[in-house]
Amino acid sequence: MGTARKPLSHEQYREELHGAVAQYSRTKPLNEEVWRSFAEHLHFVATADDAGYDELRRTLDQLDFALGTHANRLFYLATPPPAYEQIVKAIGEHHLRGETGWARIVVEKPFGHDRDSALALNEVVHTVFREDEVFRIDHYLGKETVQNILVMRFSNGIFEPIWNRQYVDHIQITVAETIGVEERAGYYEQAGAMRDIVQNHLLQLLALVSMEPPAAFDDKAVRDEKVKVMRALRRIAGDDLATNAVRGQYRRGFIEGVPVPGYREEKGVAPDSRTETYVALKLWVDNWRWEGIPFYLRTGKRLPKQSTEIAIQFRVAPHQLFSREALAGLEPNALVLRIQPDEGISLRFGAKVPVQGIRIRAVNMDFDYGASFMVDAPDAYETLILDALRGDATLFTRHDEVDQQWAFVDPIIKGWSEAPGEPASYEAGTWGPGEADELIERDGRKWRKA
Amino acid sequence: MAEGVVVDTVFWGARAEGVAALERELARLRRVQSAHARELVRPIARASVLNLIVYADREEHARRAARSVSDLALRHPSRAIVVLADRGREREESERHIEMHCQLPISDGARQVCYEQILVRATGDVDDRLASAIIPLLVPDLPVFLWWTGTPPVGSRSFADLLRLTDRLIVDSADFARPEVTLPIIARISEAAHGRFGVTDLNWTRLTPWREIATAFFDVPSWRLFLDGITGLRVGFAVDMDGRDIHPSQALLLVGWLASRLGWRPLETLAPSEAGGLLFAIARPDGARIMVRVRPRFERGLNDGDIRGIRIQATDGRQQAEFVVRREPSPRHQTATVFLDGERHWERTMPMPSPAVVELIGEELSILGSDRTYEAALGALVELA
Repeated sequence: MGTARKPLSHEQYREELHGAVAQYSRTKPLNEEVWRSFAEHLHFVATADDAGYDELRRTLDQLDFALGTHANRLFYLATPPPAYEQIVKAIGEHHLRGETGWARIVVEKPFGHDRDSALALNEVVHTVFREDEVFRIDHYLGKETVQNILVMRFSNGIFEPIWNRQYVDHIQITVAETIGVEERAGYYEQAGAMRDIVQNHLLQLLALVSMEPPAAFDDKAVRDEKVKVMRALRRIAGDDLATNAVRGQYRRGFIEGVPVPGYREEKGVAPDSRTETYVALKLWVDNWRWEGIPFYLRTGKRLPKQSTEIAIQFRVAPHQLFSREALAGLEPNALVLRIQPDEGISLRFGAKVPVQGIRIRAVNMDFDYGASFMVDAPDAYETLILDALRGDATLFTRHDEVDQQWAFVDPIIKGWSEAPGEPASYEAGTWGPGEADELIERDGRKWRKA
Repeated sequence: MAEGVVVDTVFWGARAEGVAALERELARLRRVQSAHARELVRPIARASVLNLIVYADREEHARRAARSVSDLALRHPSRAIVVLADRGREREESERHIEMHCQLPISDGARQVCYEQILVRATGDVDDRLASAIIPLLVPDLPVFLWWTGTPPVGSRSFADLLRLTDRLIVDSADFARPEVTLPIIARISEAAHGRFGVTDLNWTRLTPWREIATAFFDVPSWRLFLDGITGLRVGFAVDMDGRDIHPSQALLLVGWLASRLGWRPLETLAPSEAGGLLFAIARPDGARIMVRVRPRFERGLNDGDIRGIRIQATDGRQQAEFVVRREPSPRHQTATVFLDGERHWERTMPMPSPAVVELIGEELSILGSDRTYEAALGALVELA
């Protein structure tokens, strides 16, 4: 059942969906027979006013009766966030929740634009839906490799024993995009990279990699542990801001050999915009496991390549037997979880170069999802929508997680807005501003060549 | 697409629209290969131990380099990014572009290793943007080697950009158009690198057997004394029959190496001696004067610029000694002879490898970091010549 303000006939709606599925579906070409049968169950009602919502309820009731669906209803809000409040209220007022079945609501990020607004939005949602009926999508959590973080950590015996401050030197998490602000300047000008990526995707990845083992793989246990570790994040504010956080903004440059404009030259962006398109952070998880181990996070637009990965860099061997020359090519062990593209895992270790004498070189042992299982991983949204239909909220964000995420980023955003000066400039197609290099190089470390 | 650029897709593989498409195509090719290998019960490992960027100005050089790297797949399985650019050719702005092709060539020796070859074909002046097309192609975490065929273009932005990514720059001074200009530049690059990346020259790699034998003379305790009493040095290098002007960069590197090891200081260049040769005076650490002569000679079966012989004259205060190494082209071997007071005192004949570029590259790819001995030799060469 589709609904929007603009009126469409059932047929028009089916045609629009047909076009979209034909273009974007993972399995091509589209099987028209299958589509026809599926499309018979697609309906559309316009909800521009109260009468529209009443019409929607009647249609849903009829369909329940005709199809025997027991008034199980999943509401999916693919709308701009400002519309959430009105829609949720309408769902309540017009009794769109069925009498008998379950009701769930799926909402997309961003959940609010700071801690207070997220709380306010939450209160509105809770007037109609219980927390366990709210499915907040962070599509990163639907990715195979992200789920695999938990599988790898907690189904294997060899990783967890070294997953702590004794063996880990530091952890780097990178979310790099090549695209610019594209058509989303209106939203992005307000959000910036901090709200767009750090508040949700990056902190979720951080939580999954740093959390304690949950007692069970269910929504409560997993999310309890995530919240726990988010609470342990040391807040960055005041004087810490300058040393632990870097913001950047891209200027014109080249992506894959093609010239691209600078952020301030993009359509819909103010010519003196101070919005950050790049963020690098150094942060600490103040708990028993991670005491003293820095986490370096970075994200940006118009970086040289599309890449999302988590790298756990281990400490160097305690005592080196080999000569300085032999060790010239050795780098510390690193376990890299690649989330996109090329989902997979690689382990870097030193190996002997096949020559006489000892020369050591870092080599990668690669596990490549596609090549090992010979299938493409399902799209994140396929996984998440199916989970929502089944009522499994493990891979969705609970309100207290959202709250903690805002609690971490709010002081940074506030600090930046109050501080004089502008984001550091970086050329499109490079790995961000020099200030970000300094952030990590001060500690005698460097960003990975992602 | 720009006019006049036709890429041989049989050799270089299919064209890909952008990096994401190229990675997908490589993943597809890997899958096809590994499915095929499973049928044959001969699994293929995707093994990469390094990124190798090869820069070439001409298709012929690019192909030759690609074949060399392919031949090295078993020893150095890599992701090779071959950059073919027709720098300097005037083209309209609209014709400036970069296209990419990829292929998984299977060399005879390495069927079980999957080696990835990417062609980056640049048209027109893409100096400002070339690096942006190469960075996303690099395999994360692996060292990056940059093999620049021909003369490195100093002052070019793409060369500077690529150097920033590189762990090791490999050049071949035998291919430099004007080595006397370029060698000092390479020395400056190497110095400015401050160990961030290493620099090497295939002409240096070619010297290895010469260096081995020259040092072996002085392993003999009774001849060790002569090392501090060297009075003259002659190095012969091969030129073609026409006697074209060949720069003796390989021979000079050898002189530079001896000078840097033995603490010699340049005094003066006396004369460009006959037909491209050089004559200069050098001071030993004790101040004594050494005459060094670098002489061109025609010799069948040698490549231009290759060293054909060394003669070191020395005295220990009692005896005059001459340490002579001669390369004999057919069959390939070298003869080392020691004369004491004019008498043939000792002689050995040894096999003399004449490695092809592919073997030299293979050797250089096994080293990461700086080669301090080379850098010192190059520094001394620049001071001398």
